[in-house]
Amino acid sequence: MPQMTLVQAINDALKTEMRRDPTVIVMGEDVGVNGGVFRATEGLYQEFGPDRAIDTPLAESGIVGTAIGMALNGLKPVAEIQFDGFMPPAFDQIVSHAARIRWRSRGRFHVPIVIRVPYGGGIRALEHHSEAPEAYYVHTPGLKVVIPSNPYDAKGLLIAAIRDPDPVIFFEPKRLYRAFRQEVPEGDYTVPLGKASIVREGSDVTVISWGAMVRVCLHAIESLENVSVELIDLRTLKPLDLETVLNSVAKTGRAVIVQEAPRTCSLSSELTALINERLLLQLQAPVVRVTGYDVHMPYLTMEQYYLPDAGRVKKGIERVLSF
Amino acid sequence: MPQLNIVQAINDALKTEMRRDPTVIVMGEDVGVNGGVFRATENLYQEFGPDRSIDTPLSEAGIVGTAIGMALNGLKPVAEIQFDGFMPPAFDQIVSHAARIRWRSRGRFHVPLVIRAPYGGGIRAPELHSESPEAYYAHTPGLKVVIPSNPYDAKGLLIAAIRDPDPVIYLEPKRLYRAFRAEVPEEDYVVPIGKARIAREGSDVTLIAWGAMMPVALNAAESMIAQNVSVEVIDLRTIVPLDVETVIESVKKTGRVVIVHEAPKTCGFGSELAALVNDKAFEYLQAPVVRVTSPDAVIPQGRMEDYYLPDVGRCITGIEKVLSY
Repeated sequence: MPQMTLVQAINDALKTEMRRDPTVIVMGEDVGVNGGVFRATEGLYQEFGPDRAIDTPLAESGIVGTAIGMALNGLKPVAEIQFDGFMPPAFDQIVSHAARIRWRSRGRFHVPIVIRVPYGGGIRALEHHSEAPEAYYVHTPGLKVVIPSNPYDAKGLLIAAIRDPDPVIFFEPKRLYRAFRQEVPEGDYTVPLGKASIVREGSDVTVISWGAMVRVCLHAIESLENVSVELIDLRTLKPLDLETVLNSVAKTGRAVIVQEAPRTCSLSSELTALINERLLLQLQAPVVRVTGYDVHMPYLTMEQYYLPDAGRVKKGIERVLSF
Repeated sequence: MPQLNIVQAINDALKTEMRRDPTVIVMGEDVGVNGGVFRATENLYQEFGPDRSIDTPLSEAGIVGTAIGMALNGLKPVAEIQFDGFMPPAFDQIVSHAARIRWRSRGRFHVPLVIRAPYGGGIRAPELHSESPEAYYAHTPGLKVVIPSNPYDAKGLLIAAIRDPDPVIYLEPKRLYRAFRAEVPEEDYVVPIGKARIAREGSDVTLIAWGAMMPVALNAAESMIAQNVSVEVIDLRTIVPLDVETVIESVKKTGRVVIVHEAPKTCGFGSELAALVNDKAFEYLQAPVVRVTSPDAVIPQGRMEDYYLPDVGRCITGIEKVLSY
């Protein structure tokens, strides 16, 4: 089985679906002739031509708006927004239109688009290139939100997202694009949307994370002695696999949530609220949130003071253990 | 003291500040000659002229972008976005620019801007006219988010927002615009940003709400008297910065919390409040925090909104749930 990086797995998913289904197209800034700033769409222009690998102007609102129109007329566009920080210009098209058309038309129309976005910090980039905006989209009814943390899931989730009949925001943790390789099957397969994965079983503490933070959590767990930690990778943030989360926390009685995004009103808030709602009497300690701060993501090397690291995750785990 | 409704109190706040400070201007769609679709800017054009009461094109990104430039150059713009559902076109200007300029310039520049928007459901409007988008802005670092629930607070909070050196999202519960009158002082006064108000004292349950959910919450509290239940009702008034102290002090006293909001539940501001109560008052809780919110769907049109928005009955069910746990 070939060993692939996460970005190669994404490229492979796009190729696999484009070969299988002639209505799948990619579009975005530099995705065609150039092959994408991160090489995610490499070779697609050469294989599928300019009608299916479309270079767009630098206009995110235009990219998503055009993709919605294409989707309503029978295509399955995979639109790339080049960086997380370039999503706000497309916000209106995403939340006021893509997310609402099934509802607005009482189910007569639906919008099978995927919006792919390199996401999160860790590559020491400039402003607008390191954001973690998942909470905006999780809060918006009508969207699915997916974040893989490894090459196998990246391919299977992206294929599932393309086949989904409704809009999916597909965040790709850019610091993991080339971080490691993993066996990825050549054929087509899906990883179902809405199913979390238990990365590591344990009995004392549940750590819940997604995207690039999953690896950080693994490092933290490996350096802990005499503590059995269960690590959950949500994979899909919406719809949320609440059952897997609650079964684990019911078993361990302690939960730590780790995310890159600012804390206030984020997915870590929602998870904490849900765990409290359903499992208050089973909790041995308050849920601990290890998150980015309520400030903007700083530039370059300063980001290491902002993003949760293994040390902060360990402290969170120690806190729920010592309550 | 004059009796004003909320929209009159807002108009009064704008007039008061525009008379006091020549750098304050209003701008937006129909705010000038017409006086605003809800009459919030009535007569400002007549009193202050077209340079301080500016009719803009139908372009929300343009309104906020222009206002940011004005603010950076010494004015204090109060920009109106005509309805909550028209805020997404301005989202990039708000979160990528207004919210970041102090941080981006390491404090050299700041953006004293107020973005006013009529907000929430209850007026049986068509699509994009009944949204409750406060969670988007609460999650964005660099913004303040203020939501009054009565005429007195509306005037005092708006004056405080205009004087604040940083961008404030000021959401006005449109279903309360003309719902009732209250005494509003004629002179200028501020209600400080970041201070909640205990709207009703109680000892058994803490009920937290803001905006148009306040009258609903107060009615629910009132009707619990018959069952001998004493409900403390907190009006947050400002959701960012949040008055954590007032919330946590109340929860420590009652041990039971119900949060009411119009926005969809998932990742709504109720989730943050529930998480904070978990962080800071875990051992005081007698029951899990209950959230009474709208469902995770787009707000429906016309009278279907009655099935969507929290009402007194749903608040009472929430209160009974925390009591019977």
